[in-house]
Amino acid sequence: MSTHTNIARCFIVPPYLLDHIAKLDDPRLEHASHAAQRALASAPPYATVRRGEPAPGQKSMRSTPEAPRREAVAGEPSRFISDAGGSENLPGRLVRSEGESPTADDSVNEAYDGLGDTYSLFWEAFTRDSIDDNGMPLAATVHYGEAYDNAFWDGTQMVFGDGDGQVFVGFTNSLSVIGHELAHGVTQYTANLVYSGQSGALNESVSDVFGALVEQHSRGHSADEASWLIGEGIFSAEVEGQALRSMKAPGTAYDDDVLGKDPQPADMSGYIETDDDNGGVHLNSGIPNRAFYLTATAIGGNAWESAGRIWYETLTTEIKANTDFAQFAEATATVAARLFGDDSSEADAVRSAWREVGVTSPAE
Amino acid sequence: MKVTVTRSGGFAGLSTRWEVRVDEQPDEDAWLSLLRDLPWDAERRQAPQPDRYTYRIRCEPVPAARPEPREAVIGEQSLTGGWRELVDRVRSLDPSPERATPSRRDRGTSSTF
Ligand SMILES: [Zn+2]
Repeated sequence: MSTHTNIARCFIVPPYLLDHIAKLDDPRLEHASHAAQRALASAPPYATVRRGEPAPGQKSMRSTPEAPRREAVAGEPSRFISDAGGSENLPGRLVRSEGESPTADDSVNEAYDGLGDTYSLFWEAFTRDSIDDNGMPLAATVHYGEAYDNAFWDGTQMVFGDGDGQVFVGFTNSLSVIGHELAHGVTQYTANLVYSGQSGALNESVSDVFGALVEQHSRGHSADEASWLIGEGIFSAEVEGQALRSMKAPGTAYDDDVLGKDPQPADMSGYIETDDDNGGVHLNSGIPNRAFYLTATAIGGNAWESAGRIWYETLTTEIKANTDFAQFAEATATVAARLFGDDSSEADAVRSAWREVGVTSPAE
Repeated sequence: MKVTVTRSGGFAGLSTRWEVRVDEQPDEDAWLSLLRDLPWDAERRQAPQPDRYTYRIRCEPVPAARPEPREAVIGEQSLTGGWRELVDRVRSLDPSPERATPSRRDRGTSSTF
């Protein structure tokens, strides 16, 4: 695909990205840059676009005959990978756009492939067309910061560090991490769970759930075959641990001299009240994570077809931004009953999973 | 004077704590002036970004005395200017930070410093 046809898809590229491409002075991207400038000239200023909504006129623009030929196609991702080159400037230099061949940089290719696998899960399992269900481009930056031990979602794109090399060896090594970050975007565009306390832990858990499902879907693993680990492959060989988190057995993912022991609770009796980590969002997420694991393995088969479906419907139709654990549990039970029937084994699996992690009481 | 920087959150949810005894630094005056000029009491209303770090920066008299310890909690994306300089300095002087699970919320008033 030529650079020129690529940029046609930019009618659904967020204006900030268009803006970025338009300003590029790399001669190889001259066509892209000009096309982006044209697209910007015909698009409304992005300050007027409200988050979660398509830009005014965006849908019609996608089919306007005078627009550059190639339309964004539902079912196909539109990926843009940039390289921060060790700086903290975002998005960095655009190094691989949709349809372009692999580069010599593993991190770039891992991010590109991982975003493709994540797009595939959401499209094939839930018919969701990208983060906003409207073909939003998937933008990621690799090589962020110096020895940066982290990956995050900044509200518009994914960002991956290389790790320090001693404990962490790069955050694009794990497909569940890539899926996790993209899922933060899906949450932002749907329930928009407040990133603090229980709703924040649910935000985190939902990202782990879809991160795990991306990996299972891509590997063709059923619930029984899956590792249920998050972040497998991002630790160096020296670290005593399999991964960052275990959905199956929260609190057991690592136990290392340098890192300490995985602090996640596996049920409500271990719920951590803390002012750190936005109220322990990465800690208490172990509780709803395990509820998902218990549901998926009780139902059996491919987790994305049953438990995943229930969680996806819950996230996108059933909950509010300040939902807590108990409300989320109730919402998943409601959705399971709606999708599979009140007396179904699926609905039973959901209800018993939340009891087992102590979110609902045995009497319920 | 002691400065502690506790970084929590991030994808891994690990807490790391760096600490520097300011009174043991050869350039103590420069530290004190950096600390004095920071906007400790400024209101910081920032929407958290998923998986970004949170920094808790604390400045404590040693031994415990007036003035009261000062503390600021700052999201990674807002850690700029003097705050960034302070955190970078503290980190560079404490090459073996303490890894800790996040501290459980303390309902009482802490008076152990
Ligand atoms: Zn996250």
